[in-house]
Amino acid sequence: MTIADDIKMAPAAPKTPAKGVTPKAALYAVLSAVMAVFCIVPFILVIVISFGRKVDGAGWVWAFTFDNYQRFFVGILWPDEVTFLYLQQLGYSFYFAIIASVLAVLTALPFTLLLTRLKRRTQAIWLVFILASLSMSEVFIVMGWDILLSNNSGLPKLFQVTGLTQWLKDVGWFQILREMGLANPRNVKFKPSEFATILTMSYLVWPYAVILLYPALSRLDPSLSEAARTMGAGRWTITRTVTLPSIRLPLMGTTLLLFVFLLGSYVSISVFATPDKQTTAVAIYSNIRGSNLDAPFGSAQAVILLISASVCLYFGHLLNSKAEAR
Amino acid sequence: MPDLILSGVSKSFGSTRAVDATDLTFAQGQLTALLGPSGCGKTTLLRMIAGLEDPTRGTIRLGDEDITGLPAHKRKFGMVFQSFALFPHYSVRENVAYSLIIGGMAKPEALDKAQTLLDTVQLSKFGDRRIGELSGGQRQRVAIARALAQEPQVFLLDEPMSALDAKLREEMQVELRLLQQRLGITTIVVTHDQREAMTMADTIVVMSNGRVEQVAPPKEIYHKPANAFVADFIGKANFFDGVYRKDGVEIGEQAVHVPANFAAGSPVRLAIRPESACLVTEPGQNCIDAQISFVRDLGPVREYHLRTDIGPLIVEYAGTDGMERVAGDKTLVHLPVEALRVYPRAVA
Repeated sequence: MTIADDIKMAPAAPKTPAKGVTPKAALYAVLSAVMAVFCIVPFILVIVISFGRKVDGAGWVWAFTFDNYQRFFVGILWPDEVTFLYLQQLGYSFYFAIIASVLAVLTALPFTLLLTRLKRRTQAIWLVFILASLSMSEVFIVMGWDILLSNNSGLPKLFQVTGLTQWLKDVGWFQILREMGLANPRNVKFKPSEFATILTMSYLVWPYAVILLYPALSRLDPSLSEAARTMGAGRWTITRTVTLPSIRLPLMGTTLLLFVFLLGSYVSISVFATPDKQTTAVAIYSNIRGSNLDAPFGSAQAVILLISASVCLYFGHLLNSKAEAR
Repeated sequence: MPDLILSGVSKSFGSTRAVDATDLTFAQGQLTALLGPSGCGKTTLLRMIAGLEDPTRGTIRLGDEDITGLPAHKRKFGMVFQSFALFPHYSVRENVAYSLIIGGMAKPEALDKAQTLLDTVQLSKFGDRRIGELSGGQRQRVAIARALAQEPQVFLLDEPMSALDAKLREEMQVELRLLQQRLGITTIVVTHDQREAMTMADTIVVMSNGRVEQVAPPKEIYHKPANAFVADFIGKANFFDGVYRKDGVEIGEQAVHVPANFAAGSPVRLAIRPESACLVTEPGQNCIDAQISFVRDLGPVREYHLRTDIGPLIVEYAGTDGMERVAGDKTLVHLPVEALRVYPRAVA
């Protein structure tokens, strides 16, 4: 028998089965379509509309113009006049989001550190309570704070009734509160104010800060701070040289996440911020759903806010990478 | 440097007593090993000495100075942790210089001194590395150098070898002992490894259930264990339960001659090290009939597992002359009087 005979006698290679649509592939296709329709298409629509044109006294029409972006950066009167109203709003978005996120992280950090030192059972109870507080909507929380800080039924009333207002006047601190915009000639006044805005925004994201910091802090090796203690470090030195550097990455990550989340904060700003300190998120709503009916400009503002958040995330990522590389 | 003296030091966590009232003196310049099984209270005792735990009762003195309430960061005791507890965000040199920098020394000077210490622990080329880039043995050396940087009055080590593999552990035991002898620092090492304690320590403190069972030099701990626990924990031992009769212990039908200070009729436990018993051919005092059930050749020694009238018994033999027996052989086992230990036995 020759090799040629062997080849002839060898069984034919099995035919490749025809490629049909498997149920798994069909499921992937449906899921992809759903994702595209509900996530990507609206996003693309916003970008496309941002190049549209507003029709005076009516809605808007499809177009391809950079007027909305130009208006955002130099104002509607350009080139006759340059105004930075919308950039200022973006600035306030950053201002409130940065302060509120940093405040939330700074207050959540010692709380979470203490939480990790409690017994497991107590920790679990606290975590369940904090997780439960996440279920409350922004509207509900802001409503609560609105009542708490309102001039007629909230803390200012309590200050007046208990004589705290008079005491503040007597010791001279009332004038300081007035200069800070937290009092009128008769009583303390917490809203509208930056104080109330930042406080509410911090309160909103505080549970997120605890939940995000908890895993990193609970993994923190207690022997690190004990080692520092045996080497002569006091409490503050340990915090500064051991604890904070050890959790630098989760700390930065949490702050960045809360910051991006707060950039889009709407209810707290519209309720507590003064009209001259409204943010881009509020302006977007006014343009798209409010009285202006200027969807193209609202969309352009939304795109710019998104790009700003992405740039911040990118720089945060860069910082993290550098820190990790070190 | 003065002695470190513990007087009636005890520690309770809630209703759990971790360390019973303990009196110990750690002599200046000596290396003492706190040895015992897991949960015996040795680490708690070390942490109280370091100031990381407050004693429930008792006082800790360094010479004449009472340091019981002195916080850890004011004691100036260097400590090496079981996990080494090196700071991952600092380089090796910065880790070693940590205590100097926070103590107020100028950074360049502190880093120079850290480099000298790294030379001492043979890591001179590793100063710029991150902790994650070091092996277990190198990390341990860094931890030692870091603890020594502040020129501690007392050097504490909590299971410093437990994270190392067996071979490296043996090398590091010798290295650490040589370093301690060179520096002459009062050193306390916590370990559950009796071999480690025997290798390094001038004095061993054997602990069990929060109590100190025996304090003695390694040789004495091995050859004259104070009780059955120490005899069992340090090295290997054969134990036989019996009743003390005049000049000996009665185990079943068999009497073993061994004078001890017990009242006749007392329940006792007899102990003998495997290497102290020997197989013989001629009958004599304390020679018992035995049958070899199993033979194990361990290289340096051969181990004979025997069935005897007083119970199973293991004999270790290190020689090579004419003593080779096989399983099933009948023989005599000799229990020399001087090698036998008699301990009181609690009756349930």
